[in-house]
Amino acid sequence: MRNRRIIVLMIVVVLFVAVMGFSIGERKKLTWPENFIMDASGAVQQWFYKPAGYIAGFFEDLANLRGIYEENEELRKTAAAYARDKSKFNLMEEKIEQLQKALDFTKRQEKMNDYEYMIAHVIAVSNDPYNQTIRIDLGSKDGIKLNMVVVTTEGLVGLVNRVDPLYSNVMPLTELDEKSPDTKLIAATVLGHEKDAFGIIDGYNPETGMLSMSRISESYRPVKGDTIITSGLVNVFPQGMVIGTVESAQVGDFGLTYTATIKPAADFEHLTEVLVVKVPDIEELAQ
Amino acid sequence: MSMTRIVIVMLLFFYAEGTIFYWLLPDAWTSRLVPHFALAFALYAALYKNRYAALFLGFGFGLLQDIVFYNNILGVHAFAGAAVGYLTGLLMERRRSTLLMALVVVGFATYVYDTIVFFIYQVFRLNHMAYDWALINHILPSLFLQFGFALLMYIPARRWFEWSGAKKSEDEEE
Repeated sequence: MRNRRIIVLMIVVVLFVAVMGFSIGERKKLTWPENFIMDASGAVQQWFYKPAGYIAGFFEDLANLRGIYEENEELRKTAAAYARDKSKFNLMEEKIEQLQKALDFTKRQEKMNDYEYMIAHVIAVSNDPYNQTIRIDLGSKDGIKLNMVVVTTEGLVGLVNRVDPLYSNVMPLTELDEKSPDTKLIAATVLGHEKDAFGIIDGYNPETGMLSMSRISESYRPVKGDTIITSGLVNVFPQGMVIGTVESAQVGDFGLTYTATIKPAADFEHLTEVLVVKVPDIEELAQ
Repeated sequence: MSMTRIVIVMLLFFYAEGTIFYWLLPDAWTSRLVPHFALAFALYAALYKNRYAALFLGFGFGLLQDIVFYNNILGVHAFAGAAVGYLTGLLMERRRSTLLMALVVVGFATYVYDTIVFFIYQVFRLNHMAYDWALINHILPSLFLQFGFALLMYIPARRWFEWSGAKKSEDEEE
């Protein structure tokens, strides 16, 4: 009797370890029970999250009422600056198009930087400290694929990590960890020095709330206040998404590279809407 | 209250965890107060029904959480929930616990649950926090939340689980 219990217990433990080990890492497709549970839960969570967000947002708005005049003035200033830049931008865009035509760019090369932004609503958030997840209401049926970049107007939020037909799970930047077996690394560069600064965002420190960037090439030493953006060197990844600003920079482990601590630009708490960036499919364009 | 109804109530609380409850927290507290509402019900099942009910509720809702918020790994919460539910039932199901006893048991079991989850993530190298930092940062604050929730749910949960058990035994007698 006692022996049987121990054997059952051991079988159960082995089974669990097998499932856990199997589920780590990238999986292109989830099984149908997983898809079913995720979709069914998403449908329920959607009904809870949105109204809760609206009510909380209403009270926040009331509290912020005083600051609204200042904010308005600020916005007017940026709107004016935006109008100025826009005319400049249009002229430049036209010129680039002309040059591209003159240089016989293929269609694929021309379309490479036409990113499509899809608005997604957040439907639930897990604040489990070891496994933070943001769920959004777009799935593989809407064209979401693994490793798509998720941003807000402030900056990069995370990457799509699991996709099911109607909803998907986003891994926020706060889950980046160089030491974990399934980590993702983000190639980054410094705004204004895209040519000579290149590094990798490889971790988040929950104790300080800062991202770390390492292996920055020695040709440029980042200074405090520099804006870090994604570099488009890997072409599955969109270019120029703001990640954060540099807080401090040090010489790296072997004295050959620099490392920097970066304050994330996006706010990860209480999101309601995010944008999923769809990079044009290179294979599709080539056809 | 039948078991099906209890499961429906637990589902509602589970879905409220990542949505309504999340919105009730201010920004600075979201990563510090982690709700374990479904686990509290599973522990009440261990106290006032039997260990098998606790095992299944702990496993089921753990698995639900694992799959719905699947990011790195599956099965951690299912394992921890099943283990904690079953062990609590094994130790406590024969006694009729009072309020204070129930709170102490729920609190201690939640602490054990958090510790199991912490170390499983540690073993799979997905978590590199120091244990004492994690303890201060979120395990203890979450424990206070769990005490509050357990206190709030003591009367209804005890009534539901005892009735669901009593009704079953009556049926068997008939």
